Amino acid sequence: MHPPTVSCSAGAAATRRLLLRPLRPAILPSSRLTPAPPSRSLSSTTCRPITSSPSPFNNKNNNRPTSLHRPQQKQQQQQQQPLRTYHSHTHPAPPGPFTPAEAHLLSAAYLHVPAHGFTPEALALGARDIGLLDISPAVLPDGGAFALIRWHLYFQRTCLAGKVHDIFAGEGEGGAPRTVGERVEALAWARLRGNEGVVGRWQEALAIMAQPSYVPASLKELAQLADEILYLAGDVSVDPSWYTKRASLSTIYAAAELFQTTDTSPGFRETRAFLRRRLDEAARAGGAVRAVGEWVGFNASAAVNVLRSKGVRI
Amino acid sequence: MASARPMMQPLRHCSRGLLAQAQPTHAARARFLSSNPSLSALRVNQAGELAATLIYTAQTPPVVAREPHLRPLMQHMYDQEAGHLATFNDLIAKHRVRPTALYPLWSVLATGLGWTTAVMGREAAMACTEAVETEIGGHYNAQIRQLLEMVTEWEAEGYDVGDEFRDLITTLRRIRDEELEHLDHAVEHDAQKAQPHWLLTGVIRAGCRGAIWVSERV
Repeated sequence: MHPPTVSCSAGAAATRRLLLRPLRPAILPSSRLTPAPPSRSLSSTTCRPITSSPSPFNNKNNNRPTSLHRPQQKQQQQQQQPLRTYHSHTHPAPPGPFTPAEAHLLSAAYLHVPAHGFTPEALALGARDIGLLDISPAVLPDGGAFALIRWHLYFQRTCLAGKVHDIFAGEGEGGAPRTVGERVEALAWARLRGNEGVVGRWQEALAIMAQPSYVPASLKELAQLADEILYLAGDVSVDPSWYTKRASLSTIYAAAELFQTTDTSPGFRETRAFLRRRLDEAARAGGAVRAVGEWVGFNASAAVNVLRSKGVRI
Repeated sequence: MASARPMMQPLRHCSRGLLAQAQPTHAARARFLSSNPSLSALRVNQAGELAATLIYTAQTPPVVAREPHLRPLMQHMYDQEAGHLATFNDLIAKHRVRPTALYPLWSVLATGLGWTTAVMGREAAMACTEAVETEIGGHYNAQIRQLLEMVTEWEAEGYDVGDEFRDLITTLRRIRDEELEHLDHAVEHDAQKAQPHWLLTGVIRAGCRGAIWVSERV
């Protein structure tokens, strides 16, 4: 069952080349590739199709993750919702961190995460599902566990843009969010819901992400998530609050995610309450800082004006 | 401010897509990636206009206290700079460009520069304007030249350049012309009589170049 492995670590690059040569024709056919149908446990975490192309390989400029829906479903949904204009091929997204081959393998392996965790087994099963050799995950760096985690982060983050219309139309609980703060909360909650399928495995994933060599990439993903949420929420701050908002949202999100891993309440109600409390606290703290700043600024300019009225040339 | 953005606009990929207006191809994407410095140029422009508004804000009271007839001129220059700042604020929010991390530092330095030169007298204040606007004019000119080169190249390759990109060039040209108009006003109002003119303008221009260099990076 197991294909011959290459034991020499120095030959890893050569292995990758060897693997990719036979793989390329197999995974880059001109015919349409349909990803395997979603497993039941992950179906709640899948996101709506956000591009019209059925796979990343037919769309050279956009290696967003493949949707787990079938193409026919996509066409139906797009006909139902012609207003979804967030995505345009004339404005390609910046490319993701994955090559098309990696994306194909990871999207297949992702379906096995609820059962097998972010592990080499899930990757091997995913590879088998799409007709590749069990050893194919060797194209991924460091055995692929972190690549699979990163795929989850990347996939869920890029899904948010496709869900934003539904969220802002008030289709989620709690009605339509109106202010930027409410939208941030709704988007952060939607992103946390994206963890539902893998929540039993998420503590392991957090442990892997906390390994020193993965910390920079993990933090970058967190920063990109905060940026995405604030952008989609319509925040247009272009002063130092750009930084403070992203930093505080990143902290709150990471804390809420940690809370979620131990949350057993139905529908993660406690996590939602936790998220709301933290965001309210941040808003109050921000308001207090702003008020102090205004007070200082007002008094400083008043003092200068008093001096000017006394004839001091300043 | 937040509600000003229409929700059904192509929200997501107008982002970062400023330079990806041309037809999506591998070449265009490669160019988009390699020309990210042009997005950092928007950050520099915003920082520059922020500094300019603060300089005029700080200069106006001391200058006007001595020479009340300069009030309309200072107001006019301030209004134009505030308009430029609003333009770039919109642009960097739209294209998801990070604002400069040294925003507070630039604010303090610009206010300090404006106030110091204004207290030194009208000539020094005008010399400050002259130096700043000379650097800024050159900076915008270099940017416009770079964008025009990109447009020429794209057109030669048969890509559609897109209205957004052309509008950007038009906006930059208008702003550059207004900055150079400020330069003319400054020279008309005895900027060259400041003592010592060479030292004042030299220091300020070097400071501007350094600030541009830093803002491109952080």
